[in-house]
Amino acid sequence: MTFFIVAGIILLGLLLTLTGAKLPVPGQQELLQLYSMREIRFGIDIRGGVEAVFQARDYEGVPSSADLDSARSVIELRMDNLQILDREVTVDKTNGRILVRFPWKSDETDFNPEQALKELGEMARLTFRDPDGNVVLEGNDVARSFAAINQETGEPIVELELSATGAAKFTEATGKLVGKIISIYMDDTVISEPMVKTQITGDSAYIDGMADVQEAVALAEKINAGALPFALQAISSSSISPTMGQDALRVMLQAGLIAFLAICLFMLLYYRLPGFVACFALLGQITGILLAISIPQQTLTLQGIAGIILSIGMGVDANVIISERIKEELRSGCSLQTALSNGFTRAFSSVLDGNVTVAIAAVILMIFGSGSMLSFGYSLLVGVILNGLTGVTASRLMIGSLSQFKKLQNPWLYGRKGVGQNV
Amino acid sequence: MYSFYKNRRWFFALSALLMAVGILTAVFAGVEMDITFRGGSILKYDFAGTIDLEQADDAIGKAIGKTVTCQIVTSLGDQATSLVVNVAGNEALLPENMTQLETALAATFPSQTFKLQSANLVDPFIGRELLTKGVWAIVIASILIVAYVWFSFRSMSGPSAGVMALVALFHDVILVFFVFVVLRIPLNESLVAVVLSILGFSINDTIVVYDRIRENERIHNGKMPLPDLVDLSINQSLTRSINTSLCTLGAVAVAYIFATAYNIDSIKQFALPMMIGLVSGTYSTICLAGPLWVMWKTRGGRTGY
Repeated sequence: MTFFIVAGIILLGLLLTLTGAKLPVPGQQELLQLYSMREIRFGIDIRGGVEAVFQARDYEGVPSSADLDSARSVIELRMDNLQILDREVTVDKTNGRILVRFPWKSDETDFNPEQALKELGEMARLTFRDPDGNVVLEGNDVARSFAAINQETGEPIVELELSATGAAKFTEATGKLVGKIISIYMDDTVISEPMVKTQITGDSAYIDGMADVQEAVALAEKINAGALPFALQAISSSSISPTMGQDALRVMLQAGLIAFLAICLFMLLYYRLPGFVACFALLGQITGILLAISIPQQTLTLQGIAGIILSIGMGVDANVIISERIKEELRSGCSLQTALSNGFTRAFSSVLDGNVTVAIAAVILMIFGSGSMLSFGYSLLVGVILNGLTGVTASRLMIGSLSQFKKLQNPWLYGRKGVGQNV
Repeated sequence: MYSFYKNRRWFFALSALLMAVGILTAVFAGVEMDITFRGGSILKYDFAGTIDLEQADDAIGKAIGKTVTCQIVTSLGDQATSLVVNVAGNEALLPENMTQLETALAATFPSQTFKLQSANLVDPFIGRELLTKGVWAIVIASILIVAYVWFSFRSMSGPSAGVMALVALFHDVILVFFVFVVLRIPLNESLVAVVLSILGFSINDTIVVYDRIRENERIHNGKMPLPDLVDLSINQSLTRSINTSLCTLGAVAVAYIFATAYNIDSIKQFALPMMIGLVSGTYSTICLAGPLWVMWKTRGGRTGY
């Protein structure tokens, strides 16, 4: 019975991966879109995308290379946050230009590069000004801003983390301006007008008086966006053709399907019943990873695909280790149920150690990495977690359940040579 | 039972030989780097009609002797198409290179006219900051992995086991790097992908064998000499090592065959080093990590327990 429930869940996951779904969310008008694998946001090489060249706006001469690098980092960070992990961002220091390439959204319909660029957010310059209009703090003085809840009052607020120079400037300014307003400008538009209550001496500050959480999030995003050292304007934007050709995706899908079937065939012939169960477990793992990439609309990169291949390899490994162990236990003369339970217990320690070490590497890559490394770390981590869920837990439930059937208790089915010696 | 420990010198010699081939190739033939790591020039040529990108890649690459990738971009307003040529190299293209490039384009596509629209000299796509962060990530991950192996395999006195696992890991990563060098594949994004995957695969593989050693230590309780115990453990997990590698290798091989049949270079450049890395990952576990660990533990006549 358990077998049919687990297998049913896996097949439902497969269906969801193939068709996608729209779910109502309580309290919200919009339906939650669960994207199918066809709606994965594919990389530039597969689907093409946007190429844009940015230049500093209202700027005398060529910006310094440090400023260009920091603008580049801001754009890369923004793309990380937007899950646009397949991209190319580079600077031309001689001409002071920033070149950006990134893939279309999965549901892009009009393929207008200028429109698509809006996804990257404001390229304006952020300034904090005193009531006389003097600039007291600039965008790159703010290291980070995020929405939070004030622990004492329960109101939504926007937290600001200041850089070292920013903190010094802000201490001086807020000392002079207690009881007055500091206006925050995005280019020439006021986006917030908080009042200074006391002098702020640390490297963090917060803005209160938000109407709701949405407003706080929106303001925090705007401030983050303004961390650019200068305002940018796109001097050209065009759409870029896929480098791999439209065939590539279809070809790789076919290759993936054939590889999966070959692995299943091998597992089935070599390990018999545990191999049959392994096929379901692998299917569950693969669909899980695909959903984890398509639902948040992360761009699929070559490194992401490598992460998927590696975690599937580890899924195969877990099943191979378990099946080998069951076989070994049977050979040593255990009864079927003992062999199954010993097989899983003994295999578990090595599967656990292997997966934990790889998960450590994946998490570190996610923390430090940007773009393609982040993409690899993410798909690997998801894959490893799913491996624990499907490769170990689901396999165990399925084999345990199937081995209850009288007809499925023949040790031959579990890889023992000769028939009917250890029931 | 095959003794991997007794035959260890052959394996060490084989690995040393492969490394030597890699180093010699790198020294004498150099390491080719793509614009991803090296930076270079991005040139944009306006033209009308359609052209074959693979042909453009080959023609320009041959003409100027540098690594080149081409893309086509379309601007929305006037639907004008341009050819974007990414050329790897630290300096701006010399005027004679530009002439060679344009002559090659004109010769390959005689019916088109190409007009230079813009030229940018750019930093590497994977800049210094990203690279530094990547190296830090690998260093920190290595330390944590040794720490975890130390803790988890404390019964087999972990730190040396952790260090030997890392030796096997670096062996595989360096070997994969040399595959790119020897096959003259320009270092690009696929190097990052392959190196990262092999990192994970190699460490997982080694740990599964360690797990068997740990279990056998418990069963035999110090009565079996360490070299025999390690050989026993490797042999017991040999079917598993081979089956797992065969499955993973088979999957990547299918991708490689398809990519060859349909001539998709980027997948070929990813799949081939990956296959070699997978073989190396299994090989280094069986033939290097185990025997090296025994050598360390039994150094100077110690029993190893």
